[in-house]
Amino acid sequence: MYIFKKEPTFKFINKRYYAFALSGLIILAGMYLYLTRGFNWGIDFSGGTLVEVSFADRVSVQQVRRALGQSGLGDAQITQIGNENKFFIKAFDSSGKKTTIQEMEDHERLAKLIKGALLHDAERAALNQGKIDLNNNSEGEIATFLRSQGITDEDARDSAQKIIQLRKEATGIITDYSVLEKAGVKHRISKLLQDKSFLSRFTILSVEIVGPQVGKDLRRKATLACIWALIGMLLYIAFRFKFLYGLSGILTLTHDVLVALSFILFFNLEMSLQVIAAILTIVGYSINDTIVVFDRLRENLKIMKKESLEVILDKSLNQTLSRSIFTSFTVFLTVMAIFLFGGEVIHGFAFVMLVGVIAGSYSTIFQSCAWLKVWEKTFLKRKK
Amino acid sequence: MNKSLSWKIILIAAVIVFSVVMFYPPKDKINLGLDLKGGMHLILQVITDDAVRLNADTQVGQLKSQLKDASIKHDNVLRKAETTIEISGTLLEDERKIKDILDDDFRDWTYSFAGTYISMKLRPNIEKQLRDQSVDQALETIRNRVDEFGVSEPTIQKEGFSEDKILVELPGVDNPDRVKNLIQSTALLEFKAVVSGPFASEEGALKEYNGKLPEDLQIVKTNPRRMDNGYYVLKSAAVVTGKDLKSSRRSQDNYGAPAVGFSFKSGGADSFEKFTAANIGKRLSIVLDERIESVATIEDVISYDGIIRGRFTVDEVDDIVLVLRSGALPARIKYLEERTIGPSLGADSIRKGVTASIGGLLLVVLFMLAYYKGAGINSVLALLLNMVILMGILAYFKATLTVPGIAGIILSIGMAVDANVLIFERIREELATGKSPKSAIDAGFKKAFWTIFDSNLTTVIAAVFLFQFGTGPIKGFAVTLIIGIVASMFTAIFVSRVIFDLTYGSRKKLTKISI
Repeated sequence: MYIFKKEPTFKFINKRYYAFALSGLIILAGMYLYLTRGFNWGIDFSGGTLVEVSFADRVSVQQVRRALGQSGLGDAQITQIGNENKFFIKAFDSSGKKTTIQEMEDHERLAKLIKGALLHDAERAALNQGKIDLNNNSEGEIATFLRSQGITDEDARDSAQKIIQLRKEATGIITDYSVLEKAGVKHRISKLLQDKSFLSRFTILSVEIVGPQVGKDLRRKATLACIWALIGMLLYIAFRFKFLYGLSGILTLTHDVLVALSFILFFNLEMSLQVIAAILTIVGYSINDTIVVFDRLRENLKIMKKESLEVILDKSLNQTLSRSIFTSFTVFLTVMAIFLFGGEVIHGFAFVMLVGVIAGSYSTIFQSCAWLKVWEKTFLKRKK
Repeated sequence: MNKSLSWKIILIAAVIVFSVVMFYPPKDKINLGLDLKGGMHLILQVITDDAVRLNADTQVGQLKSQLKDASIKHDNVLRKAETTIEISGTLLEDERKIKDILDDDFRDWTYSFAGTYISMKLRPNIEKQLRDQSVDQALETIRNRVDEFGVSEPTIQKEGFSEDKILVELPGVDNPDRVKNLIQSTALLEFKAVVSGPFASEEGALKEYNGKLPEDLQIVKTNPRRMDNGYYVLKSAAVVTGKDLKSSRRSQDNYGAPAVGFSFKSGGADSFEKFTAANIGKRLSIVLDERIESVATIEDVISYDGIIRGRFTVDEVDDIVLVLRSGALPARIKYLEERTIGPSLGADSIRKGVTASIGGLLLVVLFMLAYYKGAGINSVLALLLNMVILMGILAYFKATLTVPGIAGIILSIGMAVDANVLIFERIREELATGKSPKSAIDAGFKKAFWTIFDSNLTTVIAAVFLFQFGTGPIKGFAVTLIIGIVASMFTAIFVSRVIFDLTYGSRKKLTKISI
């Protein structure tokens, strides 16, 4: 199978102004959003409290908001994860300037408050009676509780472990006591637990608390990492090829990063560590195509001495075109797999990668060589 | 089959065996990150200012007693900031004598005379040393506590390139409050002289000094868990600190009543001996985290060993011993970041990661087979081998697999075939120019090599920056990406060549290859 039966003869270079205009438009729109709305910084960068919670029953965002509102957490940001009964609850504490220590304490208080707010009245009552919540207490806590009920140390630890294992298999929530004995918890202990514990209809999957200082550090570090990576690319290409190749490569790359950032802004995607990782991966990956083209260009410049630069550039692009399309396509497929099946944790990463892969191969084809055409005079002079 | 080919096959077989041995069974051999296993991730900061201040306070105490011993007239010795001390009200004719003392016993400080004032400044290298030491010591103390708590395979290390941040990762721990208290009960331990007290309130204490506390004194609250609620006025400068303590244990006084026994290191012992000798009958307080744990009357000169006695029960003594032992931290600690990941979230992430990996792999395999037919099989074999090597290296370096790390693996599936595609496309081109299949394969591999090398190296460069920037999960991503790329260069360039040679090499007359 072939993408092109014969070597294609597209004229890419003479369309360079359309390509520059299209990219410019996207980036300008992104810039506009950046200046007017800014990024939606995740807690990694802004600091704050993020609780991920999973419910046993169908629950709507409104219901969660109502429950939180009763505990004075009405302005928490609630996001449903995909189509599942899972939610991210993000709470900020915006009450003025505070020391880091105070702020951390406030965040911790918020996290506890969120947990408390999600309990039903009956569950709250059970908690007050000193009952233990099998869906939210930790392995250690369950074991300690069983020991305090006169269960031997070994049995207590074994049962706690099995209960946690059940939670893992049931994606977090045990809904029925009958599964306990099936999983090998002793009858006596299972009976005792039915009496002395309860099964809340939700479980806290994760709690993340990030102080404000960390975020500030991280923003600076992320920006620096991107810039250094770009400089690293520039130096390497300049070393392996020539400076102007390096410069075109970097411009193409910067374009890819800016387009990816613009799309993050278009979709108001949360800026998380994963998103930064995706951007850096784009920096490393999308230069691949460009190098392949440059490599071919260098070869052709030696053979096709009589042709004009534009012809050579087009020729090099066409020769590598099916390769450029096909490899981007395989990476696109795998990123698509991450996007579709990889789960919410990695969703943002996959989205940015998708944009980056497409932007990367578009810019390689329409821009990397076009920049060399722009600097034609200097470029050809240097060659001699 | 020629000789060099059989060596190549042996090498490949060895790599496969090595990798499989390394990562099989994956359940035990692959190190899962916190986001997959569940647990706690803490980043804390050592307030190194504490250590510097503490040092200055101790030096103030020593300086005072030396000036007194040498009967040099002075009004006061004060710590002005973390790293500056001021001696005031000295006489000009004492300059020589003071210089001698400062030159002999306070070499960590630079000083300058200005009339009746002498200001001393801590040397910057000593300051840095103190700060570094306090972080190292904090690291060690936290490690001991976590060990005592019984967490398996904890990570406790300095965070990144920062000088005062510590990363603590505790797999399988999901009751944050208990652990955090355990680590934070850390605290700063100081022995301070009691000036007066107890008072019922801070205002009451202030009244004693007509509402204005002298600069070298401070009012400190008692720890209500250990003694009656109240306030004492203490000398700000600590006599000795947790840094000077060698050990503490349960002990008894002369009448057999429970008491807290402690021993100092030699430096601390000297200071403590001088202090206690000069202050028999006076009171001494033990301050932990700026709360008074105990106030005792000095009954004897104490140097290396001593006891704190009072109306303790055995349990109370044990508590104090525990506080003394675990209190031996040079500075306070604050939390900057805490993440608790429950066990079920990680299990879910693994399920999804596996689904996505298989999905991605299948899609790529399908397209490679459809597009390159026979050569497609070649690349699929290379791809599978790539996965095996990746897992093997991951296990060999005991690298940690994280959620983004899984994404890195999937991504490297897509990128690994890139090298194959480059080679195959080149072979196709060479075939199109009318070359024989054999020389087309040769030329294809040769010409594609540097292209593959260059393009992969740039990805590695970016991944290295990512590694040094990122926290745990992101580091995991960078690592799998780098390993994946290196493995793919081996499989695409070396292994897939061998497969070509195996398939076509033995044929006398090769007229057509499937690509």
